Amino acid sequence: MATSIAIRVHEVHKKLGTTQALAGVSLQFERGRMHGVIGPEGAGKTTLMRTVLGLLTPDAGSVGFYRDGVPLRFEEIRASVAYMPQTQSLYADLSIDEHLEFFRKLYGIDAAEYRARRKELLEITQLGPFVERAAGKLSGGMYKKLGLMCALLRSPEVMLLDEPTNGVDPISRREFWDLLYRLADRGILIIITTAYMDEAERCSVVHLIARGKTVAEGEPRELLARAHVSSFDQLFLRQDEVAS
Amino acid sequence: MSFRWSRAAAIAQKEMYHVLRDRFTLTLALGLPVFMVFTFGFAIEFNVKNVPLAVHDADKTQTSRRVIDTFGSSGYFLVDPVVSPAAAQQAIDGDRSRAALVIPGGFQKDLLSGGVAKAQLLLDGSDNSTVGPILGYVASIEAIASRRIADFDPPKPIEIHTRFLFNPELNSRWFVIPGLAVAVLAILAVLLTALTVAREWENGSMELLLSTPAEPLEIIVGKLAPYAVLGLVGLAFVYVISRTVFALPFRGSHVLFVLGGILFLATYLALGLLISVLTRRQQIAMQLAMMAGMIPAFLLSGFIFPIASMPAFFRYLTMVLPARWFMTIARDSYLKGSTLVEMGTAFLALGVLCVIIIAIAARKFKKDLEP
Repeated sequence: MATSIAIRVHEVHKKLGTTQALAGVSLQFERGRMHGVIGPEGAGKTTLMRTVLGLLTPDAGSVGFYRDGVPLRFEEIRASVAYMPQTQSLYADLSIDEHLEFFRKLYGIDAAEYRARRKELLEITQLGPFVERAAGKLSGGMYKKLGLMCALLRSPEVMLLDEPTNGVDPISRREFWDLLYRLADRGILIIITTAYMDEAERCSVVHLIARGKTVAEGEPRELLARAHVSSFDQLFLRQDEVAS
Repeated sequence: MSFRWSRAAAIAQKEMYHVLRDRFTLTLALGLPVFMVFTFGFAIEFNVKNVPLAVHDADKTQTSRRVIDTFGSSGYFLVDPVVSPAAAQQAIDGDRSRAALVIPGGFQKDLLSGGVAKAQLLLDGSDNSTVGPILGYVASIEAIASRRIADFDPPKPIEIHTRFLFNPELNSRWFVIPGLAVAVLAILAVLLTALTVAREWENGSMELLLSTPAEPLEIIVGKLAPYAVLGLVGLAFVYVISRTVFALPFRGSHVLFVLGGILFLATYLALGLLISVLTRRQQIAMQLAMMAGMIPAFLLSGFIFPIASMPAFFRYLTMVLPARWFMTIARDSYLKGSTLVEMGTAFLALGVLCVIIIAIAARKFKKDLEP
């Protein structure tokens, strides 16, 4: 994985029904860094993720993919983009093993590679003892880890995670973040959305969005220092004051 | 766009797990055909027999008794003597009788004096499903009674011999059960497909599926294949029960029957898919599936109500309903033994509808989450 993938979102507008979900958002994501898209509920985070993935088409603006600075069509890179949706999107009646087997076939991973990958993933997620258990019977944290495993099966270059830690207990959340760090260390471009402001500080770059627009971008500490606040909660509160 | 069987097969296998683990689906798919064939086969009898007949005989002569005997021994009527014409009327009002025969005094005298002996038959017109058959019986009973009383066969200038082709005894089971093949496939295919795809939208797994390399066509084929198999199993159940338990004849070509079944199944699977793609909600999908799939299959396909006696508007409307055409194929295969040429219109119409509905469903199935 010597190449470097970058994603540029330029002035994207998207209206869903009567809601202007994205109102000219511009962002830049680069390889090897943990990008956090931070914003309150309804800021447009999920719409942004879906637009980047081509699941929604922007009304205006563009989403561009680049490999070593050369533009790519989404189709060329689609196979190495993994996505973990926000909603519980796994199959409650299928076991962990059946999920892995299902996604292995969808991704067309050959048997030897799959065996190695499965072993490694079960090890880092510590889900090994539960492979026979149905997804519907897993705890919240384990369920999210299974979702992550399914996404990681194909060794992605880019990973989009939509609020992966939503509704997960604090200990599982920390475990989950440790997992993400290990992935970032391998040079995977990770984009994660969250409404938990404390998680913003765990990212290497944060993109604050509110009401479908980019509010601020940069390294977490730098952003806070620039705004003379001590937390992202305060930063957002100030944004609200400015807006109203 | 590159279709890969391995991905379609993976989705089909996953779907098979759902089916095998979901008791509702499995019970519906396997139980429904058996339940329907037995219900319609045993409980619903369009042949009217043992009609309770209130009889008032004011004449009380040999002739009047002979008329009543003829009714009683026909096997179609249960004679129940009443004391007055009013009591006969009451028997119908009180639902104790379906019909009443009133023989006035002087019945035999009229006959002997060279006139015509007249009696009155009252029928319960509120239940017109029995009136038709009863009238048919009365006509022949009248003829038999006349012959018995006159003791000779009057020479007739014209004689019409009636012979019922394909179903000599006009057994209603023979007519209804082949139609069940249509009803069973209609319910299973539309309902189960509409539910399964809507479920995938509802719980968000469609979003994940669409973000994988799986192509829309692979998703469609994979999701529908298990239900196609269930539909064919249902069809096989109907066939086996109809032939063994109810001893129906099958005079046509099995190949044509199965071919028609597959065409019909494909059409209805596509219809179920279309419904679920449009609604994306299980509740609404289920209601629409009932409306679009089951009601036409039962009411407008000729299953129970003959298309020939529908008003012109509905007669033309039935032409765009796949159920009507497979109904023709199923009945003609069982009873008439028709050939492909004889059922050409039905096959052509079904084929065209199949292609149209699949095309619409495939067009509407989008590989994105746009509302």
